[in-house]
Amino acid sequence: MELFDTATVLTRVLTSGVVMSIEKSDRELPGLERLLTKQTGRAKAVLLNSRTGAVHAALAGQGIGHGDTVSLPEPDAATEAFLNWLGVTVERAGDEEGRRPIAYDHVALDATNADRLPELAAGASAPALVVDLTGLGFGPAAAVLTDDARLWARAERLKIFGAYDLRTMWTQEEADASLVPGVQFNYRLSPLVAACARMALTRAARPVATYGAPS
Amino acid sequence: MITDFPAAPLPLPDAADLEAELAALGGGAMIPKAMRRTLFPVITKEDVFNLMLAQRQTPEKVVAGFAEAYRSYVGARYALPTASGTSSLHMALVGAGVQPGDEVVVPAFTFIATAQAVVAAHAIPVFVDIDPVTYCMDPQAADAAITDRTRALMPVHVHGLPADVPALRALADSHGLALVEDASHAHSAKIGDRLAGSFGDAAGQSLMADKNFPLGGEGGIAFFSTEEAYDRAVAYLDRHGIDYGMSWVAAAFGTSQLARLPYYDEIRARNAALIGEALRETGLFTPPHVPDGHVHAYNMYRMTLHPDAVGLGDLPVHAVKEAVHQLLVAEGVPAREWQNTPIPCHLPFRHRDGFGGGYPFTLNPAAVRDHRPEDFPVTLGMLDSTLVLCRELRSPVEYERILRYADAFRKVARRPDAIRKLVEEGDHRRPYEKAARLG
Repeated sequence: MELFDTATVLTRVLTSGVVMSIEKSDRELPGLERLLTKQTGRAKAVLLNSRTGAVHAALAGQGIGHGDTVSLPEPDAATEAFLNWLGVTVERAGDEEGRRPIAYDHVALDATNADRLPELAAGASAPALVVDLTGLGFGPAAAVLTDDARLWARAERLKIFGAYDLRTMWTQEEADASLVPGVQFNYRLSPLVAACARMALTRAARPVATYGAPS
Repeated sequence: MITDFPAAPLPLPDAADLEAELAALGGGAMIPKAMRRTLFPVITKEDVFNLMLAQRQTPEKVVAGFAEAYRSYVGARYALPTASGTSSLHMALVGAGVQPGDEVVVPAFTFIATAQAVVAAHAIPVFVDIDPVTYCMDPQAADAAITDRTRALMPVHVHGLPADVPALRALADSHGLALVEDASHAHSAKIGDRLAGSFGDAAGQSLMADKNFPLGGEGGIAFFSTEEAYDRAVAYLDRHGIDYGMSWVAAAFGTSQLARLPYYDEIRARNAALIGEALRETGLFTPPHVPDGHVHAYNMYRMTLHPDAVGLGDLPVHAVKEAVHQLLVAEGVPAREWQNTPIPCHLPFRHRDGFGGGYPFTLNPAAVRDHRPEDFPVTLGMLDSTLVLCRELRSPVEYERILRYADAFRKVARRPDAIRKLVEEGDHRRPYEKAARLG
């Protein structure tokens, strides 16, 4: 992304007087969520402040936790270490019969492929799609995309505050026991980072702008 | 474009406003609705300029530059910048040597992240009651909770007032435990000349936007007293493939804001003193207690109600509080409860699913308790009788706004008749009998 674009976006967010991701008036996080759901064709997005946060949310959203086993195609060493820290055993997905379905698909975006998110998402079939936005250049950032409303709700509750406002986030009257949070992390994404990521994705999806009067 | 510039100035205080009818009963509000927004932090061209300059550096250098500048300000020996306060607390515990299944003593009154960070470290939070005057961890209660499996004491400098560190340090030393601070409310808070974050073997501190020292939305930092503790935390992240990295955007904003933190501190201290003086005059309210030698950072300002001082001693204090709360909010003072039940009674600690299947609670079942609110009587008493101001005291609170807040407290305290009427008309449950909430 051009330095001018980044400066413009950061200035706009700072001028809004809202730099809190738990402010109801924040528009940056919903803006990035909308863009990601549109580009990936998924119904729901969960924003997080790192790739590992997104992996955690993708699994927690499916009720996968300590003591469970998941299947992944080619997990790298860091991912496998992280899943082991969560208490989740990893088996390599293959063609063998009886293997579990793949727990999540993974796409890492950077300047070279940021324009290809729709295409990359189209090739994903797992219940959750982890999109790593860190490579866009604004610090650790990621998202989980899904069509599953329950997966989304559980994943949001992994975040302290999550999608819930200050008055109800720990309600003692949960209608659905499966939505009661267990461990929670502050995986919230900064609105400043979200705004920059959104701008980078928007710019990548457009043809290069031309300037001056049309000839 | 959205602007953060105020739409209109607040009117100057007017003695006639004090005599007017309460806003809840149809009178004018001390702070009119259109003028209630409190903006924080101060964001200037300098912040934007610093963010632009940061783009010319590597992200690693921007983040490291911030961490070093703030470490030096706090006076801690080692610092690890993180994505959030919760992750900083997690790293502080790991650096202090907390292992899976260990017990960590935490106060029952805090933000839930304190206890969730213990679970993140695969350890067990053991909840104890608070001191009735400071609202921080009660050293005697902590002492009573220590077992063979206890590895650390984790006091919270609640609302910005340092906990009783000398007593807790002595207790930790006598049992061979680590002292880990949760300094998330306590930027620039002091005991003597030392700043919160530098007292313990390790500390975690949130830098999210609602704190006295805010980064660009989200952030945190862990401090360590030894290189060994710092190395232990860094190695843990690497070994487990955890990404707790801070964004350079937040770090650049933080570097810019750090230069004006002393100004923010001075403004809050001034505002707290001014409000405190007004509260004492009323009889109904008293300001927070600050022990000698302590500097309160006033991330929040918890005032105590004394119904007996205005002839309402026959009414339940929680009912008086609720009525006063209602009257203050109508006047435009955004007072709040900020917690209404002890943390162990929040759903995540009643169900204790943890990482799944009850882990890590299953590692040490003897440390686990099914708590009821009544297990923490001091916390309940505080929740019954106190109200909180949050960002309303922080810079850039205009002088006329603070004066109007003070007048709003005076105006409400003059009307015990209205308070009594509201209490008699309402069905007032104790705070913890309502759904757990933060606001």
